[in-house]
Amino acid sequence: MKFTINSTLPLLALALAATATLQAEDKIVIKGSDTLGAKLVPQLSETYKETGSTASFEITAEGSSSAFTNLLAGTADIGISSRDIKDSEKESFAAKGLEVEEWVAGYDLIVVVVNGKNPVKDLSVEQVEGIFTGDIKDWSELGGDAGPISVYTRNTSSGTYKTFQEIALNDRDYGADTQKLAGNEQIAEEVSKNPNGIGYVGLAYASKDGIKSVSVDGVEPKAENAKSYPISRTLYYYTIKGKAPEAAIKFVKWAKSDAKAVEVVERVGFIPAAE
Amino acid sequence: MSESDSAVNADSPTTPAPSFRGRGFRVFGLGWQDAIRYFFGGNASLAIILVLLICFFLIREGALFFPSHQRGLQDYRHAGQEFVDAVGEPIDAHTAFFSSANIAYFAEINESSREEDDLLRVARAVLANTEAACRKNWNLLKRKLGEVQEMDRALAGLDAADPARSDLAAKRETRLAEIAALRTILSSEVEAALAGPKVWKLGSDGRHLSSEDRERIREAVLFQASPDAKEEHPWLAGVGERSREKKKTAAAEFAAFKETLQGIQTAIRPMRTLHGELKKAASANRAAINRYQTAPARRAAMLEGAKKAQDPAEQARFQAEADQIVVEAPDLVAMNAPFYAAVPKQAELSAALLAEMRELREALPEKGSNARSRKALERSETLFDRFADTVDRSQRKAAKWRHERSVSAISSFTSFVFGKQWITNSSWHDFYGLLPLLTGSLLIAGIALAVCVPFSVAAAIYVNQLASRREQNFVKPAIEFIEAIPSVVLGFFGIVVFGEALRALSQVEWLSWVPGFPMNERLTILNAGLLLAFMAAPTIFTLVEDALENVPSALTENSLAMGASKLQTVFRVIVPASVSGLIAAILLGFGRIVGETMVVLLVAGNKIKIPDFSEGLGAIAQPAHTMTGIIAQELPEVDSGSLHWRALFIVGLVLFIIALAVNYAAQQVLKRFQRI
Repeated sequence: MKFTINSTLPLLALALAATATLQAEDKIVIKGSDTLGAKLVPQLSETYKETGSTASFEITAEGSSSAFTNLLAGTADIGISSRDIKDSEKESFAAKGLEVEEWVAGYDLIVVVVNGKNPVKDLSVEQVEGIFTGDIKDWSELGGDAGPISVYTRNTSSGTYKTFQEIALNDRDYGADTQKLAGNEQIAEEVSKNPNGIGYVGLAYASKDGIKSVSVDGVEPKAENAKSYPISRTLYYYTIKGKAPEAAIKFVKWAKSDAKAVEVVERVGFIPAAE
Repeated sequence: MSESDSAVNADSPTTPAPSFRGRGFRVFGLGWQDAIRYFFGGNASLAIILVLLICFFLIREGALFFPSHQRGLQDYRHAGQEFVDAVGEPIDAHTAFFSSANIAYFAEINESSREEDDLLRVARAVLANTEAACRKNWNLLKRKLGEVQEMDRALAGLDAADPARSDLAAKRETRLAEIAALRTILSSEVEAALAGPKVWKLGSDGRHLSSEDRERIREAVLFQASPDAKEEHPWLAGVGERSREKKKTAAAEFAAFKETLQGIQTAIRPMRTLHGELKKAASANRAAINRYQTAPARRAAMLEGAKKAQDPAEQARFQAEADQIVVEAPDLVAMNAPFYAAVPKQAELSAALLAEMRELREALPEKGSNARSRKALERSETLFDRFADTVDRSQRKAAKWRHERSVSAISSFTSFVFGKQWITNSSWHDFYGLLPLLTGSLLIAGIALAVCVPFSVAAAIYVNQLASRREQNFVKPAIEFIEAIPSVVLGFFGIVVFGEALRALSQVEWLSWVPGFPMNERLTILNAGLLLAFMAAPTIFTLVEDALENVPSALTENSLAMGASKLQTVFRVIVPASVSGLIAAILLGFGRIVGETMVVLLVAGNKIKIPDFSEGLGAIAQPAHTMTGIIAQELPEVDSGSLHWRALFIVGLVLFIIALAVNYAAQQVLKRFQRI
């Protein structure tokens, strides 16, 4: 799913009118993860502009892998990713004499969601593994009403896909019966319509109507439980060391530390990175 | 100057046509006429050149796939992963068998409390429907309750003397008042919703609901319908309690069954342990092989980085890192020693496992007491036989396995064309098998054609032969307009409207004879096939109509003159005369359907698995993935030049070949029949 915010025009007009002699407004191009790019970063950018910054933003969210390909190609100032950088990606940066700088944007819980009519309320990590790898096939095996389980996952370019595989599936491959959908929103939508559906989404998407989150190993997926909830992960900003525009670095630092930014992070449903 | 020009000049030597004279615009002896001619000719040849370039490009990238795929398979073997997967096969087969037996067990247990569970399910459904009916105020109340909670937390954090405290406390009071008002509104809304028929739409569940139970459920829902309801209605809680009691009694009755199931799970444990250990070793092997293979490239990358870095300290760091990369070939014999050593152990475990499992199977109940458990037990019988076969096969495979055996180019090809798995971005090994994608594409196209051909051919015959001029002027543009609908729009329609409607339709009881009904999914082969049928209709309609139009009018007139009726003429003369055009139209329609991407990506459900035909045509209610869909979904993420990237190109090449073959066949059909 694509999500682009571009508010260059009004800002450009403002900048021209007010400060003709000053340098042109700064444009920050942000690309990468759907988890971060769909809600958090657009809202952060709006709040950032309200603080009086002249920066304008271009945000594209197509999956974490695209953060690194775009940083490498020079088509993004900030890469946003819901997984950390792979060794192979580090090498391709090194081949251009570049190095990335990693900033923790916050933490997210990957929430396992089921249809609102499903009686199942709690699953163990083993059961989650069994469901998503295809070992467990029927809801009756989990104490629900009889019916074949329909499993919805993100597609392979998603950072969430890989992270969930590592944390919840013991690095085993997803079962052949899983359906690969494009984004969090689409998974939530399908689960809300299918009484036998199960899927995973970021915490920010778990409050959609018609779905409910299940607790894993007895721990409810809430921001307060971030430490004890078994399926949580770190979200990152990436910039290129020494090459990133000053405006981009300023924005990242602001997003990590400013009280208003932290409030946005919480409102969207993530857990802010403690400074 | 061409011959015709000189001919014109020869006819009228005294007054030549001015446009053929050499006056006016001329560059290198070429005039306007030539410029226009070459412009059109150039455009046509540009198209041909582009097609050739695409062919060349696809074939070049594609040809490189097979050697690198072969290397990948070789690494898979060298690392011992092939051996480990062979050892793991019985575990998967065992899991499938266990799952089926487990389903049978739960079917027995749940049967005991079916009445109570039905009531609970209905109550849950009604509650969910009521919630949906009062969504707006429900969510508003939920938000306000959350706000009060937050305020409570904030208040607890503030000192008693803090001036902000009284402010916040006042705010909290107003919130509480709002909440109280909202609760009244919501409860009257809930009551109104429960009085209406909408929340009682329960499908087959609501059939046996007695009026007493209905009234009780109404009361229970009224009691519980609030976003912060903690307490269950006593009657509903009683039903839940009864259900648990009955399940407990049933569990005591089926204790032997449960014990057998536990035995089945324990029996596989030694094999799992062995497999786990071997898997760890193989993973390490593969990592070592990958490190070795990428070492030169990594070294080169670091040296390149050192060259590009401006700072001397940075340069030194890159240089040091480059020097650290050791390029030493991994010792395959030592790496694979644990696998050869494991062969006797695997044989021993297999024999023990099979003997134990045979005994345990005997202990399973002969026959289930209800339809569900009977079906699951029957299925587990088949799955047990499959498991037993798998154990034998896996043992033979493991005993014969040799890491040094080379992977042939042919098996690189066959494992792609006949491979049943498409697993990418895996932490273990990426498999590129075309079959799941090909079958998905073909099945969807088959459904689309089966639906679309009768309709569009009949429409074409009607419009061309039977319709009045006014009808023609209306119907033809209307059908042709379908082609103008962007496929992404159609895809959205397919998800939001059509998929939902199709699923609702499949729940209707008297339609349950239709294969695959009732459906759980919205995104299915059937949904995609029907939408594509709609998309391909104008293509087939237009081509068939053209073919009918091309039938010489002499044939029609002769037939009518001989006294045949209009219908007789249409079916005995005109349609047979245009059969070549008909077949060509169907073939081209097929080409259009197979190449369609957006609709299948959005609507087909993206499940990379060969559809399961164990329930016959019911397979059309399953989701599937397609060749076009996988390219669109996975291409944006892959590194160009990687094996995955090339695999997607090969899939593209297969699509290209299918399109080419279909077009060629259509042309051949047209030619063949025209000659007759």
